[in-house]
Amino acid sequence: MSRISLKIIGQSGAGLLSVGEIVTQALVEMGFDVVADREYPSLIKGGHSCFVIDFSKEDIFALCGNVDVMVAIDKPSMEAYYKDLKDGGIFIHGYERQFGIKKILEDMEARGCKTVYVPTRETAISVGGNILMQNIVLVGMLWKVLGFDYKFVQEQVEKKFASKPKLLELDLRCLKAGFDAVSEMLEIETPEKGEKKILIDGNHAIALGAVHCGVRAFYAYPMSPSSSILSHLANMASKTKMLVKQAEDEMTAVQMAIGSMYMGTRAFTATSGGGFDLMTESLSLAGIIENPLVIVVAQRPGPGTGLPTWTLQGDLNIAMYSGHGEFPRVVIGVSEPTDCFELIQHAFNLAEVYQTPVILLTEKVICESKYTVERFKQNSIKIERGLVEGDDLLNLKGEDRYSVSSNGVSQRWMPGSSEAYYFANGDEHWERGELTEDAEKAKAMQEKRMKKVGLIKDALPEPIVYGEKDADISFIGWGSSKNVMNDVVLEAAKQGVKVNYLHYSYVMPLKEEAAIKFFKENKKVCLIENNFTGQFGNFIEAETGLKFADRLLKYDGRPFFVNDVLNFIHGK
Amino acid sequence: MENKDVKKLGELSKEYMQFETPEVFTWCGDCGNYGIQNALKRALALEGLGRQDVVFCYDVGCNGNGSDKIEGYTIHGLHGRVLSLAAGCKLANTKQKVIAAAGDGATFSEGPQHLIHAVRNNYPMVFIFHNNENYGLTTGQASALSPCGSHRNGTPGEVTIPPLNPLQFVLSLGATFVARAFSGEVSNLTEVLRDAINHDGFAFVEVLQACPTYNKETPDEWYAARVKDVRELANYDRADIWQARKLVEDVGDDFYLGILYEDKNRVSFMGTQKYRDGVSTELVEEVKHYDISEFLKDL
Ligand SMILES: Cc1ncc(C[n+]2csc(CCOP(=O)(O)OP(=O)(O)O)c2C)c(N)n1
Repeated sequence: MSRISLKIIGQSGAGLLSVGEIVTQALVEMGFDVVADREYPSLIKGGHSCFVIDFSKEDIFALCGNVDVMVAIDKPSMEAYYKDLKDGGIFIHGYERQFGIKKILEDMEARGCKTVYVPTRETAISVGGNILMQNIVLVGMLWKVLGFDYKFVQEQVEKKFASKPKLLELDLRCLKAGFDAVSEMLEIETPEKGEKKILIDGNHAIALGAVHCGVRAFYAYPMSPSSSILSHLANMASKTKMLVKQAEDEMTAVQMAIGSMYMGTRAFTATSGGGFDLMTESLSLAGIIENPLVIVVAQRPGPGTGLPTWTLQGDLNIAMYSGHGEFPRVVIGVSEPTDCFELIQHAFNLAEVYQTPVILLTEKVICESKYTVERFKQNSIKIERGLVEGDDLLNLKGEDRYSVSSNGVSQRWMPGSSEAYYFANGDEHWERGELTEDAEKAKAMQEKRMKKVGLIKDALPEPIVYGEKDADISFIGWGSSKNVMNDVVLEAAKQGVKVNYLHYSYVMPLKEEAAIKFFKENKKVCLIENNFTGQFGNFIEAETGLKFADRLLKYDGRPFFVNDVLNFIHGK
Repeated sequence: MENKDVKKLGELSKEYMQFETPEVFTWCGDCGNYGIQNALKRALALEGLGRQDVVFCYDVGCNGNGSDKIEGYTIHGLHGRVLSLAAGCKLANTKQKVIAAAGDGATFSEGPQHLIHAVRNNYPMVFIFHNNENYGLTTGQASALSPCGSHRNGTPGEVTIPPLNPLQFVLSLGATFVARAFSGEVSNLTEVLRDAINHDGFAFVEVLQACPTYNKETPDEWYAARVKDVRELANYDRADIWQARKLVEDVGDDFYLGILYEDKNRVSFMGTQKYRDGVSTELVEEVKHYDISEFLKDL
């Protein structure tokens, strides 16, 4: 076996997180490629919750959706999740009152699943621990079942409780007791040790990318699943000295970002769909005053409060069409942490060089899932500011700021840096920003701004095709779809099906030529999108006049699993 | 304004004139905005501030239509949001003086949360609060400050809901600088603005402003008959919050002008950001690649 999927289930707050973290870290130390997602309700304690960990010695990017091994901490979560275990899978638990879960155990047996049971609470107590330590007994059991070397998991437990030596001793005893109580059941191909990858979630990667590319201020109002960007930046602030400010609301956050960018530093904000709705008037302001602006929108399912802790690609339309009036904008979709780290840097370059808003879309499954990726490369993306600096400041006139004779991108300089001043005017204006309602000038200024759409489009990198030519079936998508499609291309090939996938990192302005070419070269091109209406698909069809052969859509708050796509390919 | 300042202003015609606009004014003939703009230019000239030293931030309203009528770096944002915009400007480059302006509609209806938090955070900037007791630009609707009995476009009959008391509100928030002036008394307003400019913190300056077109009840003469200088009050201590609160609660016939309250001890926003202690650069000067190796190490 090379690819394994674990699901650890329990109540939110019942030690589930520690189990997930210890196991994930131990796998990373062994050199496995890991994708770990946490599913949880929008509550602090209670409710079912689970940790899904896929790992493989090969590169993987998504969850397969087929659970090989399930570890259950309590009965309510067993009831909620037991059906997710695949036929013939392994069910590990420590629930002592077996009659209470008779139905579940019978179902397991009927489906050929193997149950591994140790009375975990009793075991924990028998070695001197307490009942809360049953989860560490479970970790020991799991590790043995997987057939891995004890030392890797021991190291992680030692790390986790390093600051509490008394607890550590007991926890290690529980771990060993669990490990010794069961036997090895799986033979998993282990990776050769290469350079150790890093394990990181998408929001952390966005935060690091922003720090790296010289962002000096962050303003935000908390909203899942964007909030951890605020936490990460705040945690780093004592070192980075970046100004990190929780604003009184999203309108404030975006206005502060606009103000700080106007002055000439790099600043941004992050929110989710509902918060972005509140920001859109400001988006439009940034458009007319040609102010750089970067907004990270971390998507979760709407409408309304929707499913705050689940995932969707449902806010593409508002990213593309929100804000009154017409103005150029760039919409980018990230997929995994490396993408997050790099695209946030490009977002700033585009916003500054083209003096217009950039919306970076991410998704809950990217924000909070952890992925193993290559250590980030620093200084590989140049900082491009598009600012007039040095002696050139001496030769400026106020009219240069919004000059219509420019190619669309007129000169921008920091307020105070030149004797030539200008008005950044949210009313329609003429070249130095002075208000005008003159028809000809209004027309010329709108045309000047909209010229930037073409310039940006030409400057954007081409979308990338993953997989081989002559595919039996092809897909186009954006955002996290890339992750699942990367895995699908490999898995489908093992099943003898050739799949390829065209991925758009830059969604707007659309490089439609790439889609047209892809349609020409492939016999069956389908859409893959994590929403109900196929927003990106509709956009492509409108821009190209082409029609997708079929659409794979999902909108239950869960990301695409590898199996969803494989089933679709096989017509299931 | 003391005589010596008037004299000094005479010598500062270049400094004053640098802000003078070639654009055509669009305010009504007797609008209070002329007086406010005039006082602002005087204050800047007297403080030795030039066009490269200041950023003017304007809300949307009649006041905001002045955004391109004063020569300098200006930003004219959205209705109700100017204080957040101005805070973002100021924090990025605290060397620039930031002067924000908004009307009573913007401040007490469209965006009061921004006022609350600008005061609480003590962002170091001047806020010129244009109080003409109505929505000028949208043709005279009632604001939350229109008095009972006044007649406003869009309000059937007369205004019957009691107005807010802006100074009482701002003082209750823990403001560090609270002043009141009148657009018809340019010299007094100039003095207030000079002190506001020099205040290290959020300086709230209410300007009672005549609106000859839509606020017929309280024209210039009405105010002129009622305004008094707070310095004429015996034993008035502007460091005493209780005196200030009492003064603004007494909404009798008199309007006391001048600096009603000032707290010189509280540090302004940047001083509260302890993690930036010891940093002498501005955010605008700090944009470059930051080495994240130390953070990658922990992953
Ligand atoms: C979001 C939004 N709502 C409404 C308006 C229309 N509007 C423009 S100015 C204004 C009110 C102006 O009143 P005030 O803030 O008191 O300023 P004044 O014109 O009296 O100086 C309104 C409602 C707008 N520009 N934006």
